[in-house]
Amino acid sequence: MSHHGAGGASGAPGAGDNLEYRVARLKERLAAGPLAELGVRLEVRGEAVLLTGTVPTARCRDEICRTVDEELAGHRVHCDVVVADASSPDRAEDLA
Amino acid sequence: MIRIAAVGDIHMAPESQGTLRPAFDTLPECADILLLAGDLTRHGTPEEARVVAREIRDLPVPVVAVLGNHDHHDNRPGEVTAVLEDAGAQVLEGRGVVVPCGEARVGVAGTKGFGGGFVGRCAGEFGEPLMKEFVRYSRRRADGLRMSLEQLGRQGCDVRIALTHYSPVPETLAGEPLEIYPFLGSYLLAEAIDTAGADLAVHGHAHAGTENGMTSGGVRVRNVAQPVIGRAFHVYHVHAREPVAAGDRSG
Repeated sequence: MSHHGAGGASGAPGAGDNLEYRVARLKERLAAGPLAELGVRLEVRGEAVLLTGTVPTARCRDEICRTVDEELAGHRVHCDVVVADASSPDRAEDLA
Repeated sequence: MIRIAAVGDIHMAPESQGTLRPAFDTLPECADILLLAGDLTRHGTPEEARVVAREIRDLPVPVVAVLGNHDHHDNRPGEVTAVLEDAGAQVLEGRGVVVPCGEARVGVAGTKGFGGGFVGRCAGEFGEPLMKEFVRYSRRRADGLRMSLEQLGRQGCDVRIALTHYSPVPETLAGEPLEIYPFLGSYLLAEAIDTAGADLAVHGHAHAGTENGMTSGGVRVRNVAQPVIGRAFHVYHVHAREPVAAGDRSG
């Protein structure tokens, strides 16, 4: 557990609430957590956060979006994560 | 003409069981072989590997795979490999395999590969022991690829394919942040491919990358990470080279 926040004895005031660092820590958590998700990009856009990427299942997408929403409460989160298409291709590439 | 199906980064877990099998069942209609370019699981556990195994077991086309970094996360790559091989896949690391496809002999050389970056923007074997080991590890993977491609050449394969997880070229990473390219591939893999020769190089790993690229030696490279190709697999038609007369062979 970490205790970042304003009023600490050292460091920049409010560094723990800094959205950029919170997003960086959240990205680490997504990678280390049960979804092992490294393929989703989290980008800070002003006061909002944009999630993009492709994940294997709808459950995986929902879980990521829910986690990010919870962790970044107070910020608008746009979840543009899509689920990988598992259909057969309709054509081949000829490498002549 | 050989029909090569390939996909990487399928990241399977128990919840994804069955998602790819319907598409894999169509393989005999469009492909002679299926290549899996690593990151087949999420954490590299035997349980997740068994999900992959059930997706590929008893497929009517040969399956050749390499592992990816996710397949190493639980530090049990040997067990993951054993589960996949029990399901009929050939899992390569620093070795090649010859697969008969009709009249032709297809050679696939495989390694996970590793990072380090690309010419002029890469890590060097210098400084802290950890840094030196990083580069040496990448070099050993590339050496294994070169030697297995050379061996396949001596075995007279009609087509040779380099199968890796990490990318040999920066071109197929386009779309990823430039700052992370050194973690996505290494030019040492491309150097190995160009030195030994190959007809096609297939890799995964870069989900936000681009499908098409080429080594500086002119070998076509395809990033088949599932998020990139947007399908269960892609198919490439590779034409066997004209046979070389025995007297013209060198080396």
